[in-house]
Amino acid sequence: MQRYAINILLCVAAVVLIVLAQTETLDKYVLNIIMLIGINCIFAVSLNLVNGYMGEFSCGHGGFMCVGAYVGSLLSVAFFTDSKLFGAALFAPELAPFLFPLVLFGAMLAAALAGLIVALPSFHTRDDYLAIITIAANYIIISIIENIDAIGGSRGFSGMKKTVNAMSDLIDLPWMLIWTLIGVFVCVVVIRRLMTSTYGKGVSAVCQNEVAAEMMGVNTNHVKIMAFMVSSGLGGLAGVLYAHVYGYVNAQSFNLLKSTEGLVMVYLGGMGSITGVLMAAVAFTLLVELLRFIIPGLNTVFHDLNLLPASYQLDQIWTWVIIPLTLILLMQFRPEGFLGNRELTHVFPRLKRWITLK
Amino acid sequence: MPLLEISGLTQRFGGLQALTDFSFQLEEHQLVGLIGPNGAGKTTVFNIVSGFYKPTEGNIVFDGRRINGLKPHQITALGIARTFQNIRLWNAMTVLDNIRLARTPQLGYNFLDTILRTARYRQAEKAIENRAREVLEMMKLSDIAEEFPKNLPYGLQRRVELARALAGKPRLLLLDEPAAGLNSSDADDLIRFIRWIHDEFKLSIWMIEHQMKVVMSLCQHLTVIDFGCVIASGEPEEVRNNPDVIKAYLGDDTL
Repeated sequence: MQRYAINILLCVAAVVLIVLAQTETLDKYVLNIIMLIGINCIFAVSLNLVNGYMGEFSCGHGGFMCVGAYVGSLLSVAFFTDSKLFGAALFAPELAPFLFPLVLFGAMLAAALAGLIVALPSFHTRDDYLAIITIAANYIIISIIENIDAIGGSRGFSGMKKTVNAMSDLIDLPWMLIWTLIGVFVCVVVIRRLMTSTYGKGVSAVCQNEVAAEMMGVNTNHVKIMAFMVSSGLGGLAGVLYAHVYGYVNAQSFNLLKSTEGLVMVYLGGMGSITGVLMAAVAFTLLVELLRFIIPGLNTVFHDLNLLPASYQLDQIWTWVIIPLTLILLMQFRPEGFLGNRELTHVFPRLKRWITLK
Repeated sequence: MPLLEISGLTQRFGGLQALTDFSFQLEEHQLVGLIGPNGAGKTTVFNIVSGFYKPTEGNIVFDGRRINGLKPHQITALGIARTFQNIRLWNAMTVLDNIRLARTPQLGYNFLDTILRTARYRQAEKAIENRAREVLEMMKLSDIAEEFPKNLPYGLQRRVELARALAGKPRLLLLDEPAAGLNSSDADDLIRFIRWIHDEFKLSIWMIEHQMKVVMSLCQHLTVIDFGCVIASGEPEEVRNNPDVIKAYLGDDTL
């Protein structure tokens, strides 16, 4: 029993969250933040496979999230809603809660295929050159989507709320919270299982000495394709969840800034540490949200103390001064991030007695 | 039939002719050496055999199968393992994981098995783990299974690299300067060790080595190359007294 303590605790926490959301004890805003945290967890943990474990510098993860978001949204609208684009719904809306995994899966598959744009060049280039390719991939994806007028072009695409409503109409539950929690669970389990297997350790081998990896029998091209596709596929999962939580997607929400957020979370948490990156994703998302309240507060305090000229107001732009600044400070004083390449169970070995991982 | 047969191997890098018409045969369970002055092209030969370079011309046949043009991991899977002149271990992985990874060609499960933790996955991982522990035991490395290679002394790192090469049950082992950086007494240990590996694992060994003591006491046959050309081959004693070899190593006395 003791060995399952943390597992049970996490399950209980998830159930409590769902109950709180169901009874509307949590207001909509808080609930949205919680789901955003979950999405950022998936986004960062999946990026960590390439940037942390494989040691490549992928700066275009937002692009894969974008593919997942759009493909997922299109599938969802086509499957469960009557729309101008696709005509009548393909399935009865009552099937939405059961067939939604198909949407998630389709989005992941599409994003994983998009990952090939980066995976194939990675056979011949690496480091800075590959980083530039990933940026290019991010731009390509966004430009393509922005220029397809049928799916809204630069105006964005919406209609996914109907799917979510269809789910709630059948069984009244906070469905998107549930799917987000499942998504986080799946993402963490997939990456963890991969990286503890001999098969997945090939990814670390490519990072630590690629020549030795190839010479010792690791098919490095296969490993790279696998790592990029798993990473971008799970990035797509973050995208499709995002699209359904907000009910609206716009290609520009997945531009280089989004990819940078992913990088910040990975480097904040520690490259090659799942628990570190999870912690970073939570901390980062909360920080961004808290700054919404802290900055106006600071504004008032500074004006009361006459530290700022009356004509100047501190506004939200300062969020993107403060966050990069914390990153600079972190890189200066703790360049390996929260946990480096270790997990929480390595830092606190006693934790192992309370948790069972398979 | 020889285990390894190389014929007419030539390697050009742009204008540089690194290897010219190199031919060589190796029988099952032989222990032979490849020597020559610095820059003669010895490591180039190994790099071609293990698939790292594609030869410009020539043929390599291993166990009756033509292997030039294959990828390094495919050649390793066929049974040729090697060590490196400058140690190439995966430093942020434990010694045990280093050894386990050398079993990748014999993995026996796929991506889905990994994610779903199927019975096939569990069996295969158990077999890999057992084999890795067995190799560590044989190589007297069990105590350091959980250490990271970067924290180990140089001599142990060399032994870990050897263990990693042996974990895949190769039929031919290529050793690139195993005695590099070892002092005289360490070299004596290494000689005994290589001889033991040769008998214990029942494999063929082809080694590049500079320390004459190691080469002379281990190898049954020597090939000498200089500037990419074979200048002598035969029994160690006869090679040692070959005037061309002496000239290659010590220079011409007309100088």
